[in-house]
Amino acid sequence: MTIEQFTTTFELARPQLKSYLLRITASVEDTEDIVQDTFIKASTKLDTFRAESTVKTWIFTIASNIAKDNLRAKKRWPANVTDICREKALANPNYFPEIANIMQTSPHAVFEIKEHITFCLTCISKSLPLEQQICILLKEIYEFKISEIAEILQTTEAMVKYYLHTSRSKMVSIFEGRCALINKEGVCHQCSELNGIFNPKQNFEEEKNKIEFAKKANDPNREHLLDLRFKIMKEIDPFNSKGSDLQLLHIQHNRIVMENYSEKNNE
Amino acid sequence: MATFSSNGKAVTTKKIFSRETAVSIDIQADKSIIWALLTNANDFPRWNSTIISIDGTIAQGQTIKLKAKLDPKREFKLKIKEFDADNRFVWGDAMGNRVYTLKSIGNNLTNFTMVEKIGGPLFPLFANMIPPFDEAFEQYAKDLKNEAETISKTK
Repeated sequence: MTIEQFTTTFELARPQLKSYLLRITASVEDTEDIVQDTFIKASTKLDTFRAESTVKTWIFTIASNIAKDNLRAKKRWPANVTDICREKALANPNYFPEIANIMQTSPHAVFEIKEHITFCLTCISKSLPLEQQICILLKEIYEFKISEIAEILQTTEAMVKYYLHTSRSKMVSIFEGRCALINKEGVCHQCSELNGIFNPKQNFEEEKNKIEFAKKANDPNREHLLDLRFKIMKEIDPFNSKGSDLQLLHIQHNRIVMENYSEKNNE
Repeated sequence: MATFSSNGKAVTTKKIFSRETAVSIDIQADKSIIWALLTNANDFPRWNSTIISIDGTIAQGQTIKLKAKLDPKREFKLKIKEFDADNRFVWGDAMGNRVYTLKSIGNNLTNFTMVEKIGGPLFPLFANMIPPFDEAFEQYAKDLKNEAETISKTK
């Protein structure tokens, strides 16, 4: 493979790679750094690429290794991350002026419930062990095969299956307990709360009925509802969506809150 | 080590100073999946209906706190006494040990065996106070088989 061929493939993979890394790291800066490091590392080691996997799988392997090294020492987020971060946002006098500024200056600051659902899924996925989060994102969002994920994580297909099954079960259980869109007793109403703030003229019930998994909230197949969430996430590029600037601010806010939260809990 | 019929039926052998319960079952899943299920302590209550909770890490030398449905009011403090990854581990206390063993026996087929031996010089004094393990052991093996085989079928 020539460097030109590699560069072409890398550029084609770049949007997905960025999206994946953002969802793993919750940091725009780290995402950009890891993408850059991946390109440099891969392009200087082109002679080691054995074509036993696709170039895209190889790129994701290098990127995942760098991300894992960066994240190894960081604590995973708690399942109630959005509650903790909500409190911090409300107590932060700069938070809402910053949002107002983005809304006035950016063409990518539209609040859409679907984007918030994706944001929420990212936050909840960060409560899973890192290997499980990587597996579930690679499989459900970026459509890698189990054999490719095993290669990316340098583990067996059996372990990937274990990670996938366990992570899905945990996510179903977390959303069941928290998400008011699928469970009337759910404790989290952030979708409706934020939609009321950003889109005060919208009727939330009408908007909610446009969300397939919310419409099917009584479906006893809760795994199917999770798949419908993944479907929404799959369709959204977090760097280039109608509300990307708004959601990027939210996700980075949550990361900073979580880093401080972890530090305090370590004291 | 004794061999047991791999039919998921528990067998108890009573002696004056000890009691041993064993269960063995064949599971259509890779050994690593079963090992992962058996050694991820905080995930136990999700798939194992005999366990209320396990706190701690299942690794060599570590101590765990276990609550089981068989005796929900008691919390057992158990030490991981042996830990041979993917093959065997042992936890126990002064009263006895529980040995978990996995063996690959063919194409994606694994034999799981769990044996608990309790006893000692004072065993006859409290033997009647310890409930039988058979039913819980059979359920444990059944739950493990169900979960591991479900995972193995993931596509």
